[in-house]
Amino acid sequence: MPEPIYLDHAATTPVRAEVLDAMQPYFGPRFGNPSSVHRWGREARAALDEARERLARCLGASPDEVCFTSCGTEADNMAVLGVWRARRAEGRPGVVATPIEHKAVLAAAHEIAAEGGHERLLAISDDGLVDEASFESLVREDVAVCSVMWVNNEIGVVQDIARLAGIARARGVVFHTDAVQAFGKVDVDARRTPFDLASVSGHKIGAPKGIGALYIRRGTPMQALMFGGAQDRGRRPGTENVAMAVGLARAAELAVAEREHEWTTLAALRDRLEAAFVERIPDVVIHGRGAPRAPHITNVSVPGTDSESLLMALDLRGVACSAGSACQSGAITPSHVLSALGVAPDLASAAVRMSLGALTTAADIDRVAELFPMLVAKARGLAAAPAR
Amino acid sequence: MERVLVAMSGGVDSSVAAALLVRQGYDVVGATMKLFCHDTDLPDRPCCSLDSVNDARRICEQLGVPHYVLNLESAFGRDVVQDFVDEYARGRTPIPCVRCNTFTKFRDLLRKADAIDARWIATGHYAQVVGGVLHRGLDPAKDQSYFLWGIERAVLSRMILPVGAQTKAETRAIAHELGLELIAEKAESQDICFVPDGDHTKIIARTLGADAPSLARGPFVSREGRVLGEHDGFARYTIGQRRGLPGGFAEPMFVVDIRPATREVVIGPREALLGHGIVAREINWLVDAPPIGAEVEVQIRHRNTPVRGTLVRSSADEVEIVLETPASAITPGQSVVMYDGARVLGGGVIERARRGLPILAA
Repeated sequence: MPEPIYLDHAATTPVRAEVLDAMQPYFGPRFGNPSSVHRWGREARAALDEARERLARCLGASPDEVCFTSCGTEADNMAVLGVWRARRAEGRPGVVATPIEHKAVLAAAHEIAAEGGHERLLAISDDGLVDEASFESLVREDVAVCSVMWVNNEIGVVQDIARLAGIARARGVVFHTDAVQAFGKVDVDARRTPFDLASVSGHKIGAPKGIGALYIRRGTPMQALMFGGAQDRGRRPGTENVAMAVGLARAAELAVAEREHEWTTLAALRDRLEAAFVERIPDVVIHGRGAPRAPHITNVSVPGTDSESLLMALDLRGVACSAGSACQSGAITPSHVLSALGVAPDLASAAVRMSLGALTTAADIDRVAELFPMLVAKARGLAAAPAR
Repeated sequence: MERVLVAMSGGVDSSVAAALLVRQGYDVVGATMKLFCHDTDLPDRPCCSLDSVNDARRICEQLGVPHYVLNLESAFGRDVVQDFVDEYARGRTPIPCVRCNTFTKFRDLLRKADAIDARWIATGHYAQVVGGVLHRGLDPAKDQSYFLWGIERAVLSRMILPVGAQTKAETRAIAHELGLELIAEKAESQDICFVPDGDHTKIIARTLGADAPSLARGPFVSREGRVLGEHDGFARYTIGQRRGLPGGFAEPMFVVDIRPATREVVIGPREALLGHGIVAREINWLVDAPPIGAEVEVQIRHRNTPVRGTLVRSSADEVEIVLETPASAITPGQSVVMYDGARVLGGGVIERARRGLPILAA
């Protein structure tokens, strides 16, 4: 079998060599606890502070506006639930989100409903863009926090965060954006875009799993989700993960430096792949195609096929893709994003997400451009054949 | 190297099946079928739990073969669980394992096999395919052929049953020999996989509502129609059942009929259970259909001793068999499987018993 092809960068990415190098000392000699008074502690504290400063620069933020978390999910939970709880007494029981958020946001909004809040979901277009009229009508004075994913993790659609955040601000609604897929692709800068909170995750940009961060604009009401020590101004108790914070900062710097080049490169590869699909599978559906999209994600459905079989067939030929989301057993479950877009169940259950990144080469794209239509034709042949 | 898709439950039989196929040089792909939601199940079940999916995955890892989880939840819900509930509502006693084999394990699995260019599918069933014909498993204590009559005949030419020619003890020994300690001594699965605590009425209540007629109170009546008491739902009863009946009779009493229209559970003495013939539907032949007058061995329950019978009527969707000696508790909804020695000829779903049970006469 030829070299395997990894087309699942939206799921996770390999740790970059530069990031591993940057982290290395903190697994070894510089192992100190940043809260300790002695030299080991001071050394660790210095490294953590520096990492925070560097990540802050990448986000157009002040260091005190950056809170390290264990992952994107924690950052999302903290943003949505932490702000809502902090504003509970203000007469703002509402939380607003899109129906195509990551489960980390949707489940936090459900939790708010369980705690007595009002959960409202925005209308979106067939291409996954937030409907502005719906936004105008739902994001009102009784809403504590609103959350809109900048780049959707399943279909890559890019929302107009500047505009939406501006409307929210005018109404006193705290605006959070899950920027986990956006960071390194679009310009996530708190000076230029008026969001109040933004979540990022290390393992999507070449840092390890187990580190994320939440940007928290100064003055944003926030209640901690965990209880313990005074780390990170009490917002996030628990001994800081120094090595990983250093790794995230390094990865973020690289991502920002390479952002525009990365966009151009991946967009060209993505366009080439989609052009081949459209040519070879005339009825292929590319989800979110009519909206602005980030360059690293393409999500396609072919009528008469199913994701599960295609993913297995692709994997057995060395091509790693994904579909929908996996439940705890590992089974693929239908995508809530595609159903929110109004994609028919048959078509939604045929979706295959391919996500490009550092490992993707033009040769990979050409191989998949051949292989995928071939597997699709085969699957359709089987579906059309009479039962045996 | 020929590819084989192995259905792996995480139990010892299918794990050993996969391991044997690896040893025989097949290109093995493991798959665990997710048949229902794992939110509420019990952690210590031998199969179909989240832990068992993880066990199957770890065995595949150990064997160095890929493993996938197939989401067959909606197909299983439609083809197996819904039918299970509907059958009880009709006063019958279904066997979901038969329909699961027919539709889920073999039909749906075969589609997945086609999708990945697998020439073969395999399972850990104790049955054998000999010269294109399904045979009983070699170990009479484990034989599972009774549950396999419904699979499409064409499937037989693509089916491998690697443990069918050995005993359970041998299977466990092979598991140890191959270092599959994770699952080698795993307990047998006994209950119906989607009925978590052995109480099937909970599934009925969940699907049809707690006020479903099959779970509502109704009368116990004698064969003559005399009311003898009250029961709390005919779905709790099956033909031949003794437990849960009113007492005070000179001889032991059994459920001899269930009448969903009036919610009556009819009780009578042992001899009222005897039937001289069987009418069955949903017929499936795994060999060329035998002619009218053919003598067959008939099994109406898993692990029952077969009785001799004659095929007296046969059409595409219904057969009638006359038994040489009457059988007890011929139960609508259960399977009748026809054998010739070890060979499985075919089977069907019991529609009703004939003669000797006048109350059941159609």
